[in-house]
Amino acid sequence: MNEQELIEKIAYNVIQGRVVAEDEGFNEGLEGQPAVTELMEQAVEQNIDAKKLVVECLTGSMEDVGEKYDKGIYLIPDMLASAECVGAAMDILGPRLAKAGIESKGRFILATVAGDLHDIGKNIVGIMLKGAGFEVIDLGNDVSADHIVEETRKNNAQFLGLSALLTTTMREMEKVVKALQNEGIRDKVRVLIGGAPTSDKFAKQIGADAYCRDAFHAVDILRKMNI
Amino acid sequence: MIIIGEQINATRSDVKPIIENRREDKLIELAQKLAKAGATYIDVNIGTGKGTRNDEVDDMRWAIKTISDKVDIPLCIDSADAAVIEAGLEARENKPAMINSTKAEKKHLECIVPLAGRYNTSLVALAMDESGIPKTPEERVAACRKIADWCAKYDVPMENVFFDPLVLPVVTDRMQCLLTLNTLVMIKKEFAEAKTVIGLSNVSFGLPARAMLNAAFLQMAMYAGLDAAIMDPLNKTLMQAIRTGEALVGKDRHFRKYTRKFR
Repeated sequence: MNEQELIEKIAYNVIQGRVVAEDEGFNEGLEGQPAVTELMEQAVEQNIDAKKLVVECLTGSMEDVGEKYDKGIYLIPDMLASAECVGAAMDILGPRLAKAGIESKGRFILATVAGDLHDIGKNIVGIMLKGAGFEVIDLGNDVSADHIVEETRKNNAQFLGLSALLTTTMREMEKVVKALQNEGIRDKVRVLIGGAPTSDKFAKQIGADAYCRDAFHAVDILRKMNI
Repeated sequence: MIIIGEQINATRSDVKPIIENRREDKLIELAQKLAKAGATYIDVNIGTGKGTRNDEVDDMRWAIKTISDKVDIPLCIDSADAAVIEAGLEARENKPAMINSTKAEKKHLECIVPLAGRYNTSLVALAMDESGIPKTPEERVAACRKIADWCAKYDVPMENVFFDPLVLPVVTDRMQCLLTLNTLVMIKKEFAEAKTVIGLSNVSFGLPARAMLNAAFLQMAMYAGLDAAIMDPLNKTLMQAIRTGEALVGKDRHFRKYTRKFR
């Protein structure tokens, strides 16, 4: 397979959500054929430029997946399968990217705020961000404002994603923003929030940088921030 | 879930004339229908109870050859007679096959288990012996153990063995279903590499709305570790039970099968 064919094949399999050869894809009858893991290993063997592989196999494919999800063609498991492909590809490419001096897009802290145990949405966001090239540090759920601020500072994180699914816990987000201010690191980190009861208006009100409707919206917003 | 389509059974009034009259076209049509519906294996039982042993040998050879030539699907050769089974295996010409079945009974162990080794096929192993169907899970597992010993002797690897914990109608004994399930759990625990199979529809014999009972039982058995079922792949309720059951016990990666069926 020449370079272009291989790149197209990897991109196709990311969209199909096939991590390894035995995986089924969104389309029927693909099981048994080489998938993202096998193809990416071949690409590395053929010395195809790692950055090119990220841009042409992963980024564009995930945009496609996002579009399909928005239109309701893809469901959550389809999206997660594709994100898993990106994760597998990044595991293979990681050492090469580091060697080539290509850095991650930034360190991203994720947390569901204190009192709130919901984490499904946050976890999906985490997978998507990894796929988009961020280094994700997930603090879990029911995380206190103090702990979030401490981890943000300790890790020199450029991004902080907060999740809350309850009207009673969304107020915690405001506490986190204030705590960042009190610690004097508010201007060093961009705060993105999400979760069912939150909104654009709420984000502005508490002084967050952006509200994200879902995981794809989050990736989209980050792109618009020119990251 | 490994689905073993049960329709090609000469005790059924619609199948009997196909075998008796050697209706190649009808046999192939039925096999194709089962394959298309999602069967992993097709069970072939040509015994009508009427003919001689030689008739059965001929019928089995004809049926297996006819299907093997036209439909690309593993076949499950269903007979209690080693000679009939061997005729089917020969006609299969090394394509994937399963033998259905052996018991922990001397005659079977001596004649049928070696066939599974020699032809490198899967083997359904019934949890029963000379004295019939044991009444406790422990005794049923003991029968399985006996078969496992013979399998080791004749080079039948455990991953080729499908232990059947046995299913009896629940209508005459309300504890039968639980007995099967408990046996299933014990078999999975003792023979981790082996697979398990049940003849599903027995459970609902004599009761109305059988597909509903079969579906409920199937899902309980899936939780208990069931790998295969001899069943009707054309039955929508059952196939839905498999898709939903697999999705819930973590056997449907990325929910591909489930979403493909219901999206």
